[in-house]
Amino acid sequence: MSPLTRIRRIVGDQRVVLTLLTVGLFLYFGMKNSAFFSTDFVIYPLLRDGAVLTVIGLAQLCALSIGHLNLAVGRMAAVAALAAGASYQYWHLALIPGLLIGLVTGALLGAITGWMIVKSQVNAFIVTLAMDFALLGFVTFIYVTFTGATAAFTTKPAGMEYWRNTSLHQYCIAGHCGPRVFPMMLVPAIIALILVGFMYAKTRMGRELLATGSNLRAAKLSGIPVDRRVIMAHTLSGLLAALAGVMLAFTNGSFTASIGSQFMLPSFLGPVLGGTLLVGGAVQVLGTFIGTMLTLVIRQGLSVQGIGLETLNIALGLVLLTALSLGQIQKMFTSIRMRGRT
Amino acid sequence: MNTELRIEKVSKSFPGVKALNEVNLTMKGGSVHALLGENGAGKSTLIKIITGVYRADSGVLKTNGEEKFFNSPVEATDAGIAVVHQERNLIPEFSVEENITLHHPPTKFGIVDRAERTRLARQALETLGFDIDLNERVKNLSVAQMQLVEIAKALVTNAQIILLDEPTASITSGETIKLFDVIKRLKESGTAVLFVSHKLEEVYEICDTVTVLRDGESILESKPLSEYKQGEIVDAMVGRHLADRKVELRKVNRSVEPVMQLTDIHTALGHEKISMSLYPGEVLGMYGLVGAGRSELARSVLGLHGISSGELKLNGQVVEIKSLRDALHKHRIGYVTENRKEEGLFLDFPVRKNISVTILSKILKKLGVISFQEEDSVSTKYVDRLGIKVVDNNQLAGTLSGGNQQKVSVSKWLAADTKILIIDEPTVGVDVRTKASFHELIVELANEGLSIILISSDLAEMISLADRILVMRDYQLVGDLDNSKDYTTMSRGIMTAIHSA
Repeated sequence: MSPLTRIRRIVGDQRVVLTLLTVGLFLYFGMKNSAFFSTDFVIYPLLRDGAVLTVIGLAQLCALSIGHLNLAVGRMAAVAALAAGASYQYWHLALIPGLLIGLVTGALLGAITGWMIVKSQVNAFIVTLAMDFALLGFVTFIYVTFTGATAAFTTKPAGMEYWRNTSLHQYCIAGHCGPRVFPMMLVPAIIALILVGFMYAKTRMGRELLATGSNLRAAKLSGIPVDRRVIMAHTLSGLLAALAGVMLAFTNGSFTASIGSQFMLPSFLGPVLGGTLLVGGAVQVLGTFIGTMLTLVIRQGLSVQGIGLETLNIALGLVLLTALSLGQIQKMFTSIRMRGRT
Repeated sequence: MNTELRIEKVSKSFPGVKALNEVNLTMKGGSVHALLGENGAGKSTLIKIITGVYRADSGVLKTNGEEKFFNSPVEATDAGIAVVHQERNLIPEFSVEENITLHHPPTKFGIVDRAERTRLARQALETLGFDIDLNERVKNLSVAQMQLVEIAKALVTNAQIILLDEPTASITSGETIKLFDVIKRLKESGTAVLFVSHKLEEVYEICDTVTVLRDGESILESKPLSEYKQGEIVDAMVGRHLADRKVELRKVNRSVEPVMQLTDIHTALGHEKISMSLYPGEVLGMYGLVGAGRSELARSVLGLHGISSGELKLNGQVVEIKSLRDALHKHRIGYVTENRKEEGLFLDFPVRKNISVTILSKILKKLGVISFQEEDSVSTKYVDRLGIKVVDNNQLAGTLSGGNQQKVSVSKWLAADTKILIIDEPTVGVDVRTKASFHELIVELANEGLSIILISSDLAEMISLADRILVMRDYQLVGDLDNSKDYTTMSRGIMTAIHSA
C-alpha cells in the first residue's frame, strides 16, 4: 500500500474524522472556558455518562445490525434496573448476583420482543414501540405499589459507591497510578465494546446477523436461520440495555422509574454518528463510543457556556443531520471512485 | 401532421455490458410496429430509453420531428407516449379507478373530480371490453386483470404513441382477441403502436412493420413484416452464431437410481401431479412461459413453501425437506435464485463474504470464530475457477457486472459442495460473452457429476444446454422431451407442448 493510499484511507475513515472533531471541540470549549478542563466536575462525569450511553448505543446497534429498531431500549433498561434494585432491596443480594438478575431480565425482554416480531411479522418499529408503552406502565405500577411515595429502591449493595465514584487512580503499579479521570464505570463499557466488536468482526454469529440485516431474503435462501438471528439480535439488544440501565442506577445511586427515560435519542446518536447503517448490514462498534462522546462533549460544552436546554437540543439535532449528510456525501465519492475503476 | 417516433443510432452501456449499439427504429401513426428479439436482446432497454427511464449514451430520439430525449417518464407521458411495461407499475393499495387515472387524475379546483374519474376509468375499461369492479384494490386482482388495468391506464392518457411490452404474456387467448380489437381501433385512429411479444403468430396477426434486435443491435430495421417469413424472422432473432456453435450431446446414464425423484407432487401454490426424475450428472431443463410455476416448484420442493402431497425421494430415500437450511446442510441441494440482486447476494458485502456464507460452519476455529485464512482461500479458489473478474476478493459484490454477480451467486453453492444445484434463469440480463462462459461452466459442472435442474425461459439456452427438457404450463408438466439439441425440431416440439395440452 502506498503512503498516499494509506493517508487517504485514514482520512476517509469516518471514525478518524469523528475523533478529530470530538477532540477539537473539546479543546475549543476548554479554551473558551477553562472550567471545562476540570477533571472532577466535567471530564470525569462526562466519561461516566459516556460509559452508560455507549452501552445503550450498543444495545441499539444490535437491533440496527439486522435492519431493525429497538424503541424500547430505555424501558428495557428500566425494567432490568427494577429487577436488580428489587433483588437488592428484598433479597439483599450482593452486587454481582443482582446485576446478573437485571441482565437476565433484559435479555428475556429482548428475546420476547424478537419472538413477537418473528411470529407476528409486524414491523420491529411497531412491536418495540408497543413494548415501550407496556413496560412504561409496568415499571411505574411496580414502583408505586411496592415503595409508595418514594417510588424508588434505595438499598445500595456493597461496592456500589466504589463503582460510581472511584477511578483507575486507586490502582497503582510500581508507583505509577492510573489516571484520575478514568471512571470505573468505563470498565464494563469497554468490556461490552470489546465483546460486541469481537462478535461482529470475527464470529459466525456476527456475520450471520449482518447477513440477515444486509439482505434478509438472500440470508434465508443461503440457509441462515434468519428467524433465530432476529430473536438473537433483540436478545442482545435487551441484554445491553439492561447493563446500561443498571449502570445508570449505580451512577444515580438509586433505582427509579425514570431510569432509561432519556435513553432513546442517545441510543441512536452514538451508532449512527459512528457510521452504523440504519438499514442494517454494517456496524461500527468503536464508532458508537466516539459518536457518543462527541454528542456529550457538545452537550456539556454548550451547557458550560451557559446555553439553555432548548438551544442545546437544536444544536444536537443539527449535528446529527450534518453527520448524516456527510456520510451521504462520502458515499457519493466512493461510488464515483468505484465507477472510475470499472 | 402524422405521428412519428424515430430512433437514430441510439447506444447504451451498463457496467460491463453494451445493451444497445447504434439502434435505429421508426414507427408511424396508423401502424403497429413489432419489436422482436430474444431475452436480453435490448428490447426493454430501448423502451426505457424512449420513456425517459434510462438516458441513452448517444444517438437521437425524434418525437413528431422534435429532437429530444425525455428526462423522466413524466416528460414522456406529457409528450403523448404511454407504455405498458412488462413488469407492472401499479400501486397495489389503490383502487382500479385510481390506478387507471394515476398520471392525470381529473380535477376540479385542485380537488380530484371523482365522478369524472369514474367516467374516464369506466370508458377505458369499456373500450377494452372488460368488466372489473372500479373500486376493487389492485392487489386483489389476478395477474391477467392487472395487465388489463395497466393497458387501460395507457389508453386513458389519449397517447399518440403506445408502447406495449409483452402485453399478452399473462392474459388468456380470449382477452388477447379483445386486446387486438382495441389495437386495431387505435391504429385506425392514427395512433402509433409498438408491440413486443415472443409469440410470432400474434405478431403476424397484428403488426405491419418489424424491427429485430439481437445482442443490442438492430438486425432488421423497420421493415414491412409481410416481406419476411416466420423462419427468416427467427433467424434474425437467433442469429447464425448459435446455429454454428457446436453443441454436444452428453451421455447421461439413466439406468441408475435418480438423485432426485418427485412422484405426484401437489403444492399449496397449485402444482398438480408433478412427477420427474433427475439423474446423476444430468442437466434437466425446465422450460415454460413466465408464470408457469417453475421457480415456485423449486422453492416448494426446497421447503420454502412446502409440498402438500406426493413423494420426494433423494437417492432412493423418501425425505421431507423442511427449509432451505435443511436442503443445504442435510441434503446438499443448492438453489441459485433468479433475482440475484434481491435474493442471491449481499450487495454491500465483499465477494469473499458472499461466497463463504454457506460454509461458515465449516471454517470455524474455537468459540465460533471464523477462520479468515480459510475463508480467503476458499473464495479465491472459486474466483479463479469461475473466472470472476474482481480487483481482489474484498471487492463489494454490488460493484460487479451482472455476469460476475451471477458467478458469485453460484460459487457459494459450489463451495458448499452441493450434489444437486437448481439454477433459476441464470443468464437474464447477462451479455453474450459472459453467457457463453456461463454455459460452458454448467456443462463442466455436470461433467464433474453435479446434477443440475436448469430453469430458463431462453429457448436457445435451454436447447443448447439441457439433456432432457420438461415443459411446464399452468403449474403442470405438459411435456418431457429428450433433447436432440437441434433447434428447429426442439423448439417446435416445445411450443407444441405449451400450446396444445
